[in-house]
Amino acid sequence: MEGEGAATERQRRATASQVDQWAVQDHVFKIYGAFASIPRSAQSVILELQRDKHVEYLTRGLQQLGPSFVVLDANRPWLCYWILHSIALLGESVDDELEDNAIDFLSRCQDPNGGYGGGPGQMPHLATTYAAVNSLVTLGGNKALSSINRWMHDAGEIDVRACYTAISVASILNILDDELAKGVGNYILSCQTYEGGIAGEPGSEAHGGYTFCGLAAMILINQANRLDLASLIDWVAFRQGVECGFQGRTNKLVDGCYSFWQGGVFALLQRLPAFGGEGFGTSDVEVEWVSDSTSEGDDEDRDSSDDNEALHPEQDQEGHQSSSHSPESSTAVHIQHSRHNQLEPLFHTMALQQYIVLCSQEQEGGFRDKPGKARDYYHTCYCLSGLSVCQYSRSKNENSPPLPTSVLGPYSNLLEPIHPLYNVVSRQYHDAQDFFSKY
Amino acid sequence: MHGRPRKPLKPVDEAAVAAKAEKLRALQSEFLSNHQNKIYSKEAVELSAKLLEINPELYTAWNYRKLAVQQNLAQCESDPESVNSILDEELKVVENALRQNFKSYGAWHHRKWVLEKGHSSMDKELGLLDKFQAMDARNFHAWNYRRFVAALMKRSDEDELEHTQNMIDKNLSNYSAWHNRSNFLSRNCSVLLSNLMKKAAPGFTSKDEVLTREYELVREALFTDEDDQSGWFYHLWLLDQTVRSEFPLLVSSWPVEGSDISLPAADYLDGCASMNVFHYSSRNFPLVLYFNQSVRGVNSSTVSVSCGFNLNIDLIWKPLSSTDSQSAKVWATHLAIPDAELHSSEAYQVEVKVGFSQGIVSTTGVAYSHPSQISFQLHLQKTPLESGQDSRFGRIQWKDDCFAVYEPGSAEPDLVNLLDNLTIKNEVESTASTWQARIIDDETNIFRDLLDCKIGKLTVARLLTAYNSLRPLDKPVHCKEVLELYSELMKLDPSHYQYYKDNHSLVLLQQVTSSKESLLSRCFHYRDSTLSTNGSPLCLRLNNLAISQLGSFEKLLWVQMLDLSNNELQSIEGLEALQLLSQLCLSNNKFRSFTALESLRYLKSLKVLDISQNEIGSHSIDTTRYLFRSPLSHSVGSCDWNINYLSSETYWEAFFVLKDMGLTQLDVAGNAITSKSFNVFLEKLLPTLKWLDGVEVN
Repeated sequence: MEGEGAATERQRRATASQVDQWAVQDHVFKIYGAFASIPRSAQSVILELQRDKHVEYLTRGLQQLGPSFVVLDANRPWLCYWILHSIALLGESVDDELEDNAIDFLSRCQDPNGGYGGGPGQMPHLATTYAAVNSLVTLGGNKALSSINRWMHDAGEIDVRACYTAISVASILNILDDELAKGVGNYILSCQTYEGGIAGEPGSEAHGGYTFCGLAAMILINQANRLDLASLIDWVAFRQGVECGFQGRTNKLVDGCYSFWQGGVFALLQRLPAFGGEGFGTSDVEVEWVSDSTSEGDDEDRDSSDDNEALHPEQDQEGHQSSSHSPESSTAVHIQHSRHNQLEPLFHTMALQQYIVLCSQEQEGGFRDKPGKARDYYHTCYCLSGLSVCQYSRSKNENSPPLPTSVLGPYSNLLEPIHPLYNVVSRQYHDAQDFFSKY
Repeated sequence: MHGRPRKPLKPVDEAAVAAKAEKLRALQSEFLSNHQNKIYSKEAVELSAKLLEINPELYTAWNYRKLAVQQNLAQCESDPESVNSILDEELKVVENALRQNFKSYGAWHHRKWVLEKGHSSMDKELGLLDKFQAMDARNFHAWNYRRFVAALMKRSDEDELEHTQNMIDKNLSNYSAWHNRSNFLSRNCSVLLSNLMKKAAPGFTSKDEVLTREYELVREALFTDEDDQSGWFYHLWLLDQTVRSEFPLLVSSWPVEGSDISLPAADYLDGCASMNVFHYSSRNFPLVLYFNQSVRGVNSSTVSVSCGFNLNIDLIWKPLSSTDSQSAKVWATHLAIPDAELHSSEAYQVEVKVGFSQGIVSTTGVAYSHPSQISFQLHLQKTPLESGQDSRFGRIQWKDDCFAVYEPGSAEPDLVNLLDNLTIKNEVESTASTWQARIIDDETNIFRDLLDCKIGKLTVARLLTAYNSLRPLDKPVHCKEVLELYSELMKLDPSHYQYYKDNHSLVLLQQVTSSKESLLSRCFHYRDSTLSTNGSPLCLRLNNLAISQLGSFEKLLWVQMLDLSNNELQSIEGLEALQLLSQLCLSNNKFRSFTALESLRYLKSLKVLDISQNEIGSHSIDTTRYLFRSPLSHSVGSCDWNINYLSSETYWEAFFVLKDMGLTQLDVAGNAITSKSFNVFLEKLLPTLKWLDGVEVN
């Protein structure tokens, strides 16, 4: 039994990180294996998004911010945002009473001098301000939007997240000016590491959340081209692993929330006019040049082969397993394109949807980091946001609904499209933009 | 926002939880009222500590404490004992809070704030960090804090390196530790470099030692487990640090040192300005400098050009870079020799002195400090070109039967002699690379033991390639082996096929350009009835090589006619260095868009271009923009063209790339973009055009 001996030898000298990685991998592959072995009709049932259960779980969270959320007492606007945005992604809305309560609650978090605190009476903070503003934009309507006192307040720790939240809020409220953007570009630039991703602060490691924040902020201040975008794409592309989901940093475990942080980076890149995208349709981002896309080919639409590929990851493992997260560098992405004539997007969107639906989704509602972890609103928000990004990744613009081949599972799984710069539902973003451009 | 630990909803005693929550709410509202009323009494401050120990996320309480500390410090004047006790208390609160949640942004931030006041000791902080890093070795708050403390308290790099080593010993997969190591090392390397510059002595031993030690360390990790990625990433970074040349150096130039160049006299050109001129003219004679890395500051004061005639004006050097208007690897200028100055019987000695005065600097700020000098001779050639006065001249055809094998001693003898001598000898580089080559040689021998696995093959291929890159003057060794390794990898690991293919292509080109013999075996005479034998140009044919990427440009600066057809190229990035290029065939490749051909904009001598049988226009998304640097992706420049013609993106790109070119012959057939209207557009865009897709243009 030589093989077995080698296996135990491998186990013996494995590092703690590897043992963890293998455990997660095994768990995930078991789920995919079980899925592959059941009849096709049953498969489509399992791939269904448990909409009702999710809405139930989310609404419950909004009604009673239970005692076990002590840790979030300083972060209640976040909780509001995660829940409200998730509900909006599912195409639902909250009833009038809940809506009023949420607006009132957030108004009480607002500081008289501008900005929102983590709860009533608390000091304003950039991160909670972002969450509160995005919550109100998501609720939409006159009452919610006019409750925002558009005045910025500076304080708190400096990192890439703070840059993003400040710029994002200013942009969505239509108060972004050069003064605010000053220095931000240089700072974010100094956070891009040799790996290609962006770190939270200079000298730190490249990280999925900060990479999204950094890129989005750079786009908002119209300086994205100062980043080394080619190496950034490399880095993000290689964060998608054998489990089909994304990891947040080199050699870390997969986590459902990076479906948005990393997946969203692709959504941003794809819409850069620089990459032939449509632009962002915001007044702050100067659209450098937008093409007339009437002559565009539709060859990618005909390609549905990756549908099957995603559903049977075992078949794909030989190549895929070694390719993901490996230090071979760049061009894996590019090969996929030339071989399958499959031009966009630059990550495996079907595989990611599979991870979200089969591994992160809880049948009783809510989403989680990975199998074995408990669901929570943070992961629910970012798994759903990531799912929406995947579904619309082949759509040339937000008004054209995706083809069924872009949506894993039944077409009823289709979520609302988001505006990737702010991560609010597109329609809500446009309403808010109309509203704030009037004042 | 991300990575926050969520509290699992455990089935606990609901009543107890509710009671706890009630108590917390009471504490919180009392605290908020203190905060609003600016009450900083002992009891009030203690209350905030209690709250923070339960809920470190309550950043309002951290800010409250900062205000309280400021007030209390102001009151106690500067009694050191009270100051210490106030700040100690803060450290204690942070520590307790971190014990509750060590991912709390607010808590770490508060501790930094206290430390910046000059409080605490390195031992104390490092002790605390050791505790937290033992719990989660990859927590980025802890790593950030560690870097903060090390910088603030000026801990030595060696000590920090030792710490990362301990972390790696505990868990080889800890990429955070490897990452932190690279932080210290890159700083270290640059420090060593500046010391070196001061001493101006060959004191490379120290960097040598550092790198050798690092290779040993990472090797240990890799041989313990070849499946772990962290070590491989670090190894790759280390290899890059080893071969990266810190000093900007001149690699090659056009004209080549010692060359003898014949120029057609201006009089003979006047009548046929638009014809296929294979020789550069005295009106527009290019000088090209090719550096080993991107440099800035190349201008008429850092590069002096002296010749036997009067140049009248200062030369303007232009960086050949599409992304940067200040720096480039390749710089070019054009000599415009006044007609009156040249006399046919004379030979003019031209001297180009690079870097004798300060000013050329690498993008990382290292000054060019190894002045070089290039001397060559210019001759005037009064032989009229026979078909010169004929307005109907031949169309270049890239068919095999138009090319005859190069015969020694026929045309271009000057040129052929130079092929031995294409790169510039740099003594500094060769001494510097000795120890690097040794390190890489040792590594190669060791990693040959891992040749049975994919990453082992790739590493050996990379090491061998790195070895050659350190010795640009020597004939590359092991090319065959590297090519075989990449071929095996393409079969073994099809999902990275393109990456291996690209590298394979680069090595293949290195091999082809490595010697005069091998270059000449790819040189052909172009034979055409309309051309005299004497004007028969030498064409370098790199066709049918299955290459997917171009390289070795430094050895191709002399090329005027180039056939790259029937390859798998997706971009011609780098080709802009070939300033003499006047005929170029790119047919039957994999170009997907005009953005892939952007280098053409810099080839001012180009007259004949064949881009037929490619994929231009057949893809709606231009992946070139993802994969190659391109200013098209960033800016559009001003556009005075009738906008109607630019209604589609591809037309616009074609406009941008081709607009200022003086092409006389263009082939675009066999691309999805071609259509009647596109041809009309091209004719309008290129008024010099005589042939379009083999049809004479009126």
